[in-house]
Formats: sequence, structure tokens, C-alpha cells
Amino acid sequence: MNDQVQMLLDNVKQFCEQNIKDIALNIERTRIPDKIFTALREQGFIGANLPSSSGGADLDRASYDAILFQIAEYSPSVAYYVYMNNSIILPLLLKSGKKELAADIISGKERVGLSAGNILEGVGIKTTFQETAIFPSRLMISAGNDGSIVLLKGTFEESGRKSLGLRGLGIGIKSFSTEKTEEIGRKEDIEKIFVESSWEQAAIFLGLSQGAIEKAVEYTKVRKTFNFPLKDYSPVAFRLSELKSDLEMMKFYLFSEDGDREKGMMLKTRAADFSRKATKYALQYHGGYGYLEDFGVEKFYRDSVALNAVMFRTDVDRRILAESIYKSKTGYI
Amino acid sequence: MDFDLSPELEDYRKKVREFAIKEFREDIAQKHDLEEKYPDDLRLKALKNGIIDFTNPWKTMLGIEEMCRVDPGLGISATVPYFGAEILLLHGSDYLKEKYLSKVAAGQKIMGLGVTEPGGGSDVAGLKTNAKKEGNKYILNGSKMFITNGSIADFFVTLVRTADPNPPSKRHRGLSVLVVESVFKGFSSSQLKGKLGVRATNTAELVFNNVEIPEENLVGEEGKGFYYVMEFFNISRVFVAAQSLGIAQGALDMATEFLMEQEKNGISVSEELKFKLSEMATRTEAARLLMYKAASYLFNYKPNPTITSMAKGYASETAAFCAETAMEITGMTGLSTKLERFFRDSKIMEIWEGTSEVEKIVISRMILKGDGNE
Repeated sequence: MNDQVQMLLDNVKQFCEQNIKDIALNIERTRIPDKIFTALREQGFIGANLPSSSGGADLDRASYDAILFQIAEYSPSVAYYVYMNNSIILPLLLKSGKKELAADIISGKERVGLSAGNILEGVGIKTTFQETAIFPSRLMISAGNDGSIVLLKGTFEESGRKSLGLRGLGIGIKSFSTEKTEEIGRKEDIEKIFVESSWEQAAIFLGLSQGAIEKAVEYTKVRKTFNFPLKDYSPVAFRLSELKSDLEMMKFYLFSEDGDREKGMMLKTRAADFSRKATKYALQYHGGYGYLEDFGVEKFYRDSVALNAVMFRTDVDRRILAESIYKSKTGYI
Repeated sequence: MDFDLSPELEDYRKKVREFAIKEFREDIAQKHDLEEKYPDDLRLKALKNGIIDFTNPWKTMLGIEEMCRVDPGLGISATVPYFGAEILLLHGSDYLKEKYLSKVAAGQKIMGLGVTEPGGGSDVAGLKTNAKKEGNKYILNGSKMFITNGSIADFFVTLVRTADPNPPSKRHRGLSVLVVESVFKGFSSSQLKGKLGVRATNTAELVFNNVEIPEENLVGEEGKGFYYVMEFFNISRVFVAAQSLGIAQGALDMATEFLMEQEKNGISVSEELKFKLSEMATRTEAARLLMYKAASYLFNYKPNPTITSMAKGYASETAAFCAETAMEITGMTGLSTKLERFFRDSKIMEIWEGTSEVEKIVISRMILKGDGNE
């Protein structure tokens, strides 16, 4: 890891301590508050990876990933918000010539959400549809059933149901009524973006894992059972040490490697699985207290599975990785 | 070796399933999960409809499994008002059985079990709540944590220290069980909110501040409390295995339905996903057989703690595995469906009634003592 990345990690950690740490629980209860959007904008995190000609900070891959990693340690919801803007929404808008809207997002005037499916019918006309949405907003990027990626303006109805995780993003099945839709790309564009941002996705998985592991390490130092701290028991100490070792190796890879696409896919695949394992043990070693949201570890357990659903398509992503290794069509049966 | 249930038990299983599907509607399950509110009406309906049947422990076990298969939070809520009853049944005086247990069986009262303490967790013998005998009553001071039914129960079968351990290294000595009513002066409880799962169930912290307990509320003999509670765990762990099995089966049902729907819509399902489904089904079946074996020992009055801990430990890990794997199979779709609730509900199975680690301690200890298996 170079000095620039380390310095950035330290700075972002300080930012998180000041802006996120104390409200991390509230972020999950009520969605990301406005003051976080303001702080992200002021810090230059929105648009951090984009070229300065587009209003971005022109950070390199490792530096951008350091931001995502460090924020995810405190709030995976906020980290995903930064990722979805920087890696998905802004590149799509810029590619389709929507520079003004992109500038408004970077400056904090506009916010855009994503919806997941390919069920939007009738691009270009007013319509209604129901779909799982991430950060539901009046402006959404969605996928049409004709292979198009569309920017839609409209309204949505809130539902009472909370998502399993990433609750700060208000994920849920929403009913949308569109006023205006316009094509801003094709499905292949978003597919390419998704694969090429594997490093960023891995950074979020690893940041979340670090948050959970650190909590478990601290807790097992002070929590006693049968007269000994939990850390004195070999299954606990060995498992947490293994998890920490795996994490450190993947962090080294994340911050040291070049941005090769295939290596990014490899790391993402490992980091996605790892996050589920790490958060599960972290909760388990908190015992009953881990089951309570006030201890802040159950959030990571939920978020790891939610992030896997949102960022790791178990079949598709494994096939893409397999095809990059075999250099041919593979893993399709 | 006959793996089939009797026709009577099969009929009962069907009856419970029909009841759960009819009564545990998704809107009701969601409401209680969101509001963290105990469904008292369902407890009474289950009792009235003969769904809760304590005359046959096989029925109790199957009933728990079938109800948790439809919804774990509501299923546990409907069956948990009797939590701890076996201690009174096996060791309580006729007076205690009549005064307390008969009313629970009639649906007039709810009971709870007070064992775990703040900072105590699995270390039952390390408890600090104490009861000092003064004349014909005990004076109780201390607190209990993570108590199921804590703020809705009318009374609690409570493990307390009535004497210093002798010698001090034998901490399990000097413990006794008292029945503590929630209306006794000095008793207070506060519901623990913000649980990850099983949010329809009520969980609370109990505080005892100079609570006066009549001496006739002592269960069994003074100083035998630890043994009574460990004996109870040998029973209750089979029922937690049944809760876990219900969750595993429910998650398997949903993953199966999802993949069948995919195929129906012409979407190819990879062997990778089909293998995951196979593993869920295999583990669920293995957990079921282990649970039946533990139940068979227990219900024939020859409990086997090793097999019981294996059944509870394996079934609870299977519940968490199946719920997580079903989430993986369903992807984004699962995030906002009832499956996500199953995922949240499943984790507590590996924690309550003995964590997975405690079950492994029991198993290895018994094996190394040479009484690991038949």
C-alpha cells in the first residue's frame, strides 16, 4: 500500500469518526440523512473517481477504493451510496451526454436511485410498474424489457416493509408511476460497468468485514464466560485470527494490485463469500448481545447478505470469472 | 427401523400446517415483526383449536416444526407461553402445579424461565441473583437478561443462588429454583427492542429488588436448581431443534418455489444453484433424523445429552445455512420478501438454549468421558 492510500484511509477514517460513527444506527433506521450527503459532497467523495473535466477529483483506482473500504467499515449503506453514484449512475449519465444532471449530482442538487429488474415496459410513455429499488427517488435509472437502460422521472409509493439490509438506502419493492422516461444506454453498458467495478465492490465487502471483525475482537477481549475472557478460548481466538489474516491479505491485494479486470473479479468473489463468513462469526461471538441492534454488529450480518444480493450475482458473476479463466464460454450448464 | 410417523401424528402434522397457513398470514407476520409485538390472539387460537397438545411430546415437537416452517416469529410465539413448564411438571409440588401450571394449560396465564443473566450467557453456574431465606420467605435480589416472555408473563420459573457454593469451585452447588410472580412487589421488567429476528416474541430484562417470595414457591429441593435447569435444557434443546428445522424447511420451500418459477418462466437454472438446493435439502433431512433420534431417547425416558446437543447444534446451524443459501439463490428478490425474515430469525437458533459452542463442549466432554454414544 502506498503512502497516498494510507493517508487517504486515515483521513476517511477521521471523516467517518466525525460524521458517521455516532449516527450509524440512525442511518439504518431512517435512511441516510441530508447532513451525510452534504458531508460527502464537501469532502469530494461524490465524483472522486471521475476526471476533473467532469467535475470529479480524478483519484486513481486504489485511492477511490480506499474511500469505499473505509466508509463501509462504519456504514455499508453510505459506502454503497457513494459507489452507486460514482461507479454506475455518473458514468452512465456522462456517457449519454447528461452532463448537467451529472454536475447536479456531484454538487448535491439532485439524487438518483436505481431499480433492479428488466420489467419497465413502454419506454417513452407514461406507465406504472413495481420493482425492487435502491435509494428510491423521483429520478431513477431502471432497465427496460427491451434491453434499454432508462432514466425515469416520476413518483413512487413507500411500502412498510424494510429490506433485510442496507436500510439506509431505503431498499424495497416500490410502485413507480413514470412521468417521463428516456433511454440513456443499453443493458450491455451497465453490465460492463458492473464487471469493471469489481474492485470497488470488493472494497465495500472488505470494509464491512473489517467493521464486524474489529467489533468482535474488541468484544472478546472484555467479555468473560466461565471466568475467562472469550479471547482465551482457542476456537474463538483462532477463528478471529484466521478471519483477520484473510482480511489483511485481501486488503493488501486490494490496495497493491493494478486494476486488472480479472483480478478484480477474483477478489470480489473471495470478498463476497468472506464477508458472509466474517459477519456471521462476529455476531456469534457477541452471543445474545449481538442479536440486539444497539451493539452494531447485527447490521453487518444483514448487510453482508444484502450486499451479496445487490453486488454479487452468484451465478452470473461466477460464470464471468470462469470465462475469463477459460477464455471461452463456460459454466453455463 | 421405521422412519414413518404414525397416522395419528401425520394427521396432527397436517392439522397444524393448515392452521399455520390460515392464521400466520404474511400481513400479520410482517406487522408483528415490524412492531415487535407479541401475538396473544394467536396463542389463544392455537390453544382453542387443539394445536398445542402437551399430552404427546411428539405432537409438541412436530407442531413447533410446522408452525416455524410457516413463520418462525409467530410459530415460536404460539408455543412459548409454556416455556419452562417441564421444570414445574417434573419437580414442582402439587400446590405449584395447581396454582400455576394448570392456569397456563388453560390459557389463562403465560409463564417464562429466568436463567440467563447480564454478562452471564452460557455460564449458568456463574449467576449472581440471590435469594436469602428470612422466616417463611425468600428475599430475592438481582437481574435476568434475554428472558423470553419477560414483559408479558405472569410468573417465572427462576434460577437463583440460595447458598454459597461449597466448595467455592463447585459453582453449580447452592442454586435453587423459585417461582416469581410478575405482580410481586419489587419485580420489574423492560422489553428489549431492536432484535435482529424473532421479533414477534417478547424478550426482556428482569430486575428483582428485594422481592419477597413465599417459601412454598421453591421448586423441588433447595440446592438442586442447577440440575433441574440442565435437565430442562436436555428437553428444550429438542424443541429448539424443531424450531430450527421449521426454519430450514421453510427456507427450502421458498428456494424451491423460486427455482421452479424460474424454470416455468423459461429461465435456465444452473447446476450450481441446483446443487445448493440439494445441499439444503440433504442437511435439513439429516437434521430431522438427528432430532427424531434425540426425541426418541428423550420421550422414552432415557435422554441422551450427546445426541440432544448434536441435534440442537446441527439443526440450528442448518437453519442458518438454509436461510442464507436461500437468500443467495433468490438474490435481490429475497431482500424484501418473507425469506429475509427467516434469515433474521434463523441466527438466534445458534445462540439460545446453548450456543453452538456450548453444544460442542457438551458433545466433546461426553465423548471424552466415554459416554458419547450408545
